[in-house]
Amino acid sequence: MRLVSPWIAVLMMVAAARAEGTADVRGARSDPVKSGGDARTLTARVDAVLAARWAEAKIRPAPVAADGEFLRRVSLDLIGKIPTAAETRDFLDDPSKDKRVALVERLLDSPAYTACATEIWRRLLLPEADTEDLARQVAGNFEAWLRSKVIEEAGYDRIVREILAVKLNARNTDLTAGRLDASPAAYYVAKERKPENLAAGVARVFLGIRLECAQCHNHPFARWKREQFWSLAAFFAEVPAEGPENVGIARPERNGAPRRELTIPGTKKVVTASHLDGSTPAWRPRADTREILAEWVTAPDNPYFARAVVNRVWARFFGVGLIEPADDLDGEAGSELSGLLDELAGQFRAHRYNLKFLIRVLTATEAYNLSSVAHQAESATSMFASMPVRGLSPRQLFDSLTQATGAEPGDARARFLELFASREDRPVEAETTIIQALTMMNGSYIDGATNPETSQVLGAIVKAPFLDTPGRIATLYLATLTRRPRPDELTFLVPFVERRKTALDQQKALADIFWAILNGPEFHLNH
Amino acid sequence: MIRPLRHVPQLNRRQVMQLAAAGVLGPSASGWIEALAADTAAHPHRRKSCILLWMSGGPSQTDTFDPKPGHANSGPFKPIETTVPGMLLGPHLPRLARQAKDIAIIRSMSSKEGDHGRATYYLRTGYLPQGPVRHPTLGSLVANEFDDESAELPGFVSISPVRAINAAAFSSGFLGPKCAPLNVGERNLAGGADAGSSSLRVEDLEIPRGIGRPRADERLELMLTLGNDFLTNRPGVPSFSHQSAYRRAVKMMRSSAAKAFDLDEETAAVQDAYGRNPFGQGCLLARRLVERGVPFVEVTLSSADGSMALGWDTHAQNFDTVAKLSAVLDAGWATLLTDLRSRGLLESTLIVWMGEFGRTPKINESAGRDHFPNAWSTVLAGGGIRGGQTIGNTGADGEQIKDRPVLVPDLLATVIKGLGIDPSKQNTVDNGRPIRLVDPKANAIKELLG
Repeated sequence: MRLVSPWIAVLMMVAAARAEGTADVRGARSDPVKSGGDARTLTARVDAVLAARWAEAKIRPAPVAADGEFLRRVSLDLIGKIPTAAETRDFLDDPSKDKRVALVERLLDSPAYTACATEIWRRLLLPEADTEDLARQVAGNFEAWLRSKVIEEAGYDRIVREILAVKLNARNTDLTAGRLDASPAAYYVAKERKPENLAAGVARVFLGIRLECAQCHNHPFARWKREQFWSLAAFFAEVPAEGPENVGIARPERNGAPRRELTIPGTKKVVTASHLDGSTPAWRPRADTREILAEWVTAPDNPYFARAVVNRVWARFFGVGLIEPADDLDGEAGSELSGLLDELAGQFRAHRYNLKFLIRVLTATEAYNLSSVAHQAESATSMFASMPVRGLSPRQLFDSLTQATGAEPGDARARFLELFASREDRPVEAETTIIQALTMMNGSYIDGATNPETSQVLGAIVKAPFLDTPGRIATLYLATLTRRPRPDELTFLVPFVERRKTALDQQKALADIFWAILNGPEFHLNH
Repeated sequence: MIRPLRHVPQLNRRQVMQLAAAGVLGPSASGWIEALAADTAAHPHRRKSCILLWMSGGPSQTDTFDPKPGHANSGPFKPIETTVPGMLLGPHLPRLARQAKDIAIIRSMSSKEGDHGRATYYLRTGYLPQGPVRHPTLGSLVANEFDDESAELPGFVSISPVRAINAAAFSSGFLGPKCAPLNVGERNLAGGADAGSSSLRVEDLEIPRGIGRPRADERLELMLTLGNDFLTNRPGVPSFSHQSAYRRAVKMMRSSAAKAFDLDEETAAVQDAYGRNPFGQGCLLARRLVERGVPFVEVTLSSADGSMALGWDTHAQNFDTVAKLSAVLDAGWATLLTDLRSRGLLESTLIVWMGEFGRTPKINESAGRDHFPNAWSTVLAGGGIRGGQTIGNTGADGEQIKDRPVLVPDLLATVIKGLGIDPSKQNTVDNGRPIRLVDPKANAIKELLG
């Protein structure tokens, strides 16, 4: 196994010794006290590394995010929607010093977290479902299985082993049969069961290696050669093919032995399944071909596996990974942030690949607690010295809208999810389209939601007898932007309402403020 | 190779100034609505337009524009003659055959990309996918060159796109949200028959009933005022894209040009002639948009009824499928040519017909044809292109280019030049790196340009 440096080797050996082997342990729940202490230590480590970079580059980090900023951000990131006005008020007024850490714990324990975590994992493991037709059709079955893993708090390594080693049959792969079983087998369907797609996907998602180019030719600068690509693909030679143009032609079975060979298309060369690092697979009589692959991929000393997932989870919370692009981790070994990634990966492994552990570490870092206000140094966000502004996923936007307005989703949900589906997979480059803007401004859902007669939240606010105009405006802000209005905003908005003569007109003015906030960038973005 | 550790796009100073000039930023939020009104007063200066007919899946050239009479590779189809002596077409394109004098067929397209995703990106941007660079699609490149602040409609409209194959190939990439396409008639193909509307209408153009125009104006101003602080303190692609989208949306709402999307303004006879299917209606919409000065419109033909992603990808049952698709194509495109000509717009409207690659001349065991980037066809028409000719040839069987190979960048250079744009012009990616509109090694096809 090729190692990055002797220092890393030691770290890995220690981590491997601590990890209780790769045997399946029911869930990965660890001792909360010990893991809490470990999380704090690791957070401090991240802070130290980043602070050193900032000092070296002479960059002052952005100010600490205001409580409202943090609350909104972490709610969107962990439960997929903004908090209620009441939750916001409570948090803003809470004087305790550790309220942010306590907040994270509350969110991790909430039922809404399960749905959100399932989506986090699904986007990591089956990214094609966001953009590709076939993958989207089976994403539901994949998610159903994934959800059960999240509830069990299964470790990531166990999740990947289940995907790689799942036994395929008609009930979990045959789309024409109607409903598919909830199962990781959907992974294979999404890749059209082609060995070359599976090899490329496994390398890209599980190992952070972009292998696809080696599929067709040996590029002079690429690390990976064509034969290596197809040797990985050969592990999937026994996946039953579907269509007539299955490119990798499997050799026919001999004496019922499992297929472990492929002919490289366009050549006569036959390759046997072998690992990317050149090591010989440890075939065992009763183990399936893909089980052996699963063991190698998730082995403690596989330097790619933990790094790839930790980098992606980092990207999930910070908008970009420690190393970019996330599916091409090869080139950046040796840089300082690469070292940090190794440390995080080692600890993640040591804590049985438990996602909650990693979330506790990342959300407590100084960097995650920074404001997203623009920094004078252009490179600030590239060193995590300020949080980037990110787009919202369609679900985050719609669930936040529903909550902020109290308007029944009904039919609008499906249309919204389709309309706001982002074809751009980098949240820091999220784009709004004209059609989205039109729907938000003029569509029937928002129209109903910003009408005091039909909107629960707005109706309650404009009619509450115990609120004055500043109070009503403040409640609108708390319900939507997770903060109180600034003095200059109140100076503008109170007269905007009170210069109207009738109560009805004042209600309309408040409704217009509500509409203006919901359509504005501050509501639409994660910042 | 220098690779940035991270890539968070920032707007450079030039872009910030451009946006400020466009009224998106500004210390005072008032006057936004007035500025919009002033903008729409001027009329866009007439320049060329481009209509791209995008054939998703890789259309078979042997059955359409490069038939092989008397050869087994023709299968059951017998080619037909056209009004240009010596130029034959597939049998299901009779109306186009009668207008052969206006089309130029390039039969010697050659590429190495046989994968749908990569090839789609290559044809639609002129570049192969290269690391983190997000190349703009052709429509965005052209919309950027023909950018007109006074225009009421977006500079790039994409009708019925199927973006799932390679989303990046349908994006404005590093040119940003200003050149992003307005997508109409996009279907969620994963959701089955009742997912989303295939209608080409732009929904929600009207302010809701119960909100009068003065109130709509006032709350729009309020939105900009309240959002100004956020925009100033958090510049970047997501913020600016948000403001840009709203601004362009409001412009469309207030324009008479938006009536272009109302196809019922056309007679039933005209709608019938184009064909009552998404592609045919898309061609009609394209004509209406070009009439109103939109510089770039693309219409995707992914399947006869619009329900499939890669209808032309005929690995099996090639002949039935191609016959159906060709009928749709023939009606839509031939009517478009006639219509543009009768309105005096054909000279100034360049039409491009292409897919991501061609298909094997040899027929496979499933009566199908497989991917074939080795030798395939694209077609240009109108826009001052010298029609009635063929470029290159693939011999009696179509298996190889015999003469005049044309690479993908050569085709795009021809299109760009045909529109009156210099292909060697450069755009600047956000990290300052210049990228030419078309690969600098490309050679436009001189025989086609006037």
